[in-house]
Amino acid sequence: MKSTRVAMTVAVAGLLAVLAGWVSSTAAGSTHANKTITISVASLIPGSTDAAVQEFNAQVAQFEKTNPSIKVNSVEYKWTAPTFAAKLAAGTLPTVFEVPFTDARSLGDNGQLADITSYVKALPYYSKYNPAVLAEGTTAKGKIVALPKGAYAQALHYNRSLFKEAGLDPNKPPTTWAQVRADAKAIAQKTGKAGYVQMAKDDNTAGWILTTLVYSLGGRMETGIGTKAHATLDNPKTIQALNLLKAMRWTDNSMGSTFDYGWSDINQAFAAGTVGMYISGSDVYSNLVSASNINPSIYGLAAIPLANSKTAGVLGGGTLAGVRPDANAAQKAAAVKWLDFFYERPLIDKQRAIANAKTLAESKQPVGVPALPIFNKAQYDLANTWIKPYVNVPLNQMKPFNTGIFKQQLIPEPEASTQSVYHALDAVVEAVLTDKNTNVVQMLQQANSTAQTAIQQGS
Amino acid sequence: MNDDDFGRGLISQSEWRRPSVRWGVGTTQALLLVALVVFGLGPILWLAKSSITPTIDTITNPMSFFPHGAAWSNLREAWTTVHVGRYFWNTVVLAFGSWGVQIVVATTGGFALSVLSPTYARVINALLLGTLFVPTVVLLVPLYIEIVRPPLIHHSFIDSYWAVWLPAGASAFNVVIVKRFFDNLPREIFEAARIDGAGPFRLFWSIVLPMSKPIVGVVSIFAVLASWKDFLWPLLVLTNPNEQPLSVRLPSIQSQTSLGVFLAAMFIACLVPIAGFLVFQRSFLRGSGLGGAVKG
Amino acid sequence: MAVVDHLGEPALSSRRGLSGIARVPRRTPITWVRGGGLTTLVFLLPLLFIFGAFSWYPIVRTVIMSLQHTNLVQPATWVGFQNFERVWHDPLFPIAVKNTAYFAALALVFGYPIPLIAAVLMSEVRKRRGIYSALAYLPVVIPPVVAVLLWKTFYDASSTGAFNTILSWVHLGPYPWLQSQQWAMPSLVLESTWANAGGTVIIYLAALTGVQTELYEAASVDGAGLLRKVWHITLPQLRGILLVTMILQIIGTAQVFLEPYLFTSGGPANATLTVLLLIYNYAFGNSLGGDYGNATALSLMLAGFLTLFCLFYLRATRSWSTR
Repeated sequence: MKSTRVAMTVAVAGLLAVLAGWVSSTAAGSTHANKTITISVASLIPGSTDAAVQEFNAQVAQFEKTNPSIKVNSVEYKWTAPTFAAKLAAGTLPTVFEVPFTDARSLGDNGQLADITSYVKALPYYSKYNPAVLAEGTTAKGKIVALPKGAYAQALHYNRSLFKEAGLDPNKPPTTWAQVRADAKAIAQKTGKAGYVQMAKDDNTAGWILTTLVYSLGGRMETGIGTKAHATLDNPKTIQALNLLKAMRWTDNSMGSTFDYGWSDINQAFAAGTVGMYISGSDVYSNLVSASNINPSIYGLAAIPLANSKTAGVLGGGTLAGVRPDANAAQKAAAVKWLDFFYERPLIDKQRAIANAKTLAESKQPVGVPALPIFNKAQYDLANTWIKPYVNVPLNQMKPFNTGIFKQQLIPEPEASTQSVYHALDAVVEAVLTDKNTNVVQMLQQANSTAQTAIQQGS
Repeated sequence: MNDDDFGRGLISQSEWRRPSVRWGVGTTQALLLVALVVFGLGPILWLAKSSITPTIDTITNPMSFFPHGAAWSNLREAWTTVHVGRYFWNTVVLAFGSWGVQIVVATTGGFALSVLSPTYARVINALLLGTLFVPTVVLLVPLYIEIVRPPLIHHSFIDSYWAVWLPAGASAFNVVIVKRFFDNLPREIFEAARIDGAGPFRLFWSIVLPMSKPIVGVVSIFAVLASWKDFLWPLLVLTNPNEQPLSVRLPSIQSQTSLGVFLAAMFIACLVPIAGFLVFQRSFLRGSGLGGAVKG
Repeated sequence: MAVVDHLGEPALSSRRGLSGIARVPRRTPITWVRGGGLTTLVFLLPLLFIFGAFSWYPIVRTVIMSLQHTNLVQPATWVGFQNFERVWHDPLFPIAVKNTAYFAALALVFGYPIPLIAAVLMSEVRKRRGIYSALAYLPVVIPPVVAVLLWKTFYDASSTGAFNTILSWVHLGPYPWLQSQQWAMPSLVLESTWANAGGTVIIYLAALTGVQTELYEAASVDGAGLLRKVWHITLPQLRGILLVTMILQIIGTAQVFLEPYLFTSGGPANATLTVLLLIYNYAFGNSLGGDYGNATALSLMLAGFLTLFCLFYLRATRSWSTR
């Protein structure tokens, strides 16, 4: 009957309207006032002190207060090659996660990082970014997929008390490789401890430090980019670097007796006072304090000696933070807000910088560890003046680095198949340090062809 | 000990009467005992000693005996700061779950194959035997992919304890020895139960299981020990450090921990297996004598 | 293997089933259920599920994946034998094979006789044999990770390392242990022997109790000395178990992973890179995603080799063990 039909039509229309409203509100994500967007973010490395964890949670609380529609879940996170690959494949990475410079572009190119270009360009300080650093998080097609968390340059760490014990001036660290060799010999002879030590573990750190050495002599491991790059691992500067290591190891016997140091155990050995000098990132002081409780008075930081060559430079690296590719628009916006708040603001906003430094200093975390500017140098100097009252690291012991680094040319890591290039070099370094009769040239040629194959395969 | 003890084995009575043989064998056995103590017990005693020695002493003079006193704080620090207790608990939970899955699979499967014995039992036996001949490495990658991307369920099992518990049950060895045990149970008892009207479930729960205590004991010891020792699989599927067992966690904290505390953590990790061994010694040694001979 | 003998025989006649009623010739789903078939299936469910999901299916998948290129982002593509070729031509492949063979050989030379000698000596102990067994088995009970990490501190190459300190008491050393390409593999074998010998000792002890003592008596009457008796009686009587432990040891050492991974990560300069470690590196070594095709191909190659080896071994020793 007509009335029934009208009633039915009205009912169906009403149902459709409700349905449409429900569908549209969920599709629009969480723009509805009562809905909160939830994102998970990488927090601290597992095993961090309780004070550090508390400090992080305080920051999360502050962020949620200023952004009431965003809920942040923190997830302990440490980037290691196998666990990252597992989480990536399983889809269990937090919404915001960190990757090293070496991987960001490949991940972006493979669609494993979300495109956040539009959100980043809307940030007020976008123009102040150091273009070289921002480029590390930009794909070949120009999409920004990650924002820098921190950048570092390789540096020479030395033990001031061992220097003194060996009759060397701790305020005058070596500035040429010949001096490094001489100082290492003096330390070994006068103190019995290893004068100069280098990472030689098979987990790509051996190749990483060798590349650092080669860059400082003016060599390069690759020419060209992408899968068309050409591997040049066996260039004359690499041979020169390996021969220097050979001389220090076998002729001078100044490299100690352990040759399988990785990134964290070399820090541990140094903090324990058994190492005179070693090369690692300029930011490892934080790890020396948190993991090994180093006695600050023994720590000295110098710039890596560079050869007298136009191509000689310092290898730079860093960490970026990116967003999962399957995040929806609302989550991406929330994620970039978190990136802005947690990673970038403390470097560019006076209040945040001071608040950050204050809480870090209160929980006895290092403040003022030398890093490289993510924004331009003027901003970097400005930020340093803000946090000056809270600096608790021995800055005057790090002066040789802080003054020297800005005179040096910064060179990014090899672009194509970085980890595979390093891995190919691992065995060469280990061989030179463990076998007096290693045929350096032959091994380098083999390493070169291995690296070239990896580059061509895009792995 | 009299001369009658000899003459039954390698050394005959007449030989034992000769003093040169007595001395020779006695000395050899004494030397053997010394060697076993030094090599078998020595490293563990060193670990115990070093776990309460200050780090600096262990580094500079590892074979000294408390030159500057003991550092009991190592143990305390290992338990609290390094959170050995948490990883210890994880190991226990993982062992318990793996044990449970293995017992369920082995007893129900063994019961079905041995007592209920369907026509297709032969096929299943052949498939089980086949897996005994397949080296575990063959399973590693696809099992991992299966955990990461299960075929029907669209939810990864990475960081879930089920990823460790469930695959642990796929031990053909367990099923084989349980089935063999059931094969040797007297059939008259089953007949009697059947006449009394017991169905398969009653039979399993009230008759067979209570009689299986010995074999369940053997399987349990193997299961718990295997779980305690497991390294590669938990390393791959448990990426969250807070969920990892001791075997996975210990290597990764080495470089953040001073040597003394680290050795203390390792010592704590040994306590349960050693204590378990001392208590269940007989079962261990009997079980591995038999089982070890045929374990694939 | 003795276990195999009983497997083919069902405890009850399958035609009779548990109900004891002779089955009617016409088998329908209903008679199957009534005959207890469903119950049996229920009991078999845990086994079928667990083995199906975590044993049989992965075995099939390994074979399939070895013929595919998988990267978990795009769907897998069939590439025929390309993975096998790539593994074959990888310069690390011959190194891994050589190292694995070296490890197995060293383990056989050092780790095989020692448990036997110890067991023979221990079998003649009259008083408190339990202590001997317990001491021998103790290292087996220690979790392997702890054993390796403990021995890693022993192997510290500086002059204040534990082993170097002990050796300095007799004016030997200091030795480079894990820091030398020559010493690394023997160091691994030494620890591996320590950690595993106890299990084999117990097995031999159990087997030795089965040696017929009349043979010893007869030999003594003939005037045979101790060593002669061991060589001509004890060893031949143990023939079966000796062959089994040898093949088990070879199969086990061919798959060694923990020691190279934790001690040296395959170094120095790939001196301790084994086949398992190479498989691990293929699958899990690259942070951008693993080469699962290569990993599964190499797994199959290893499995295939071990199967062939077992067959040759069984054939070659068949005459020896049943003579």
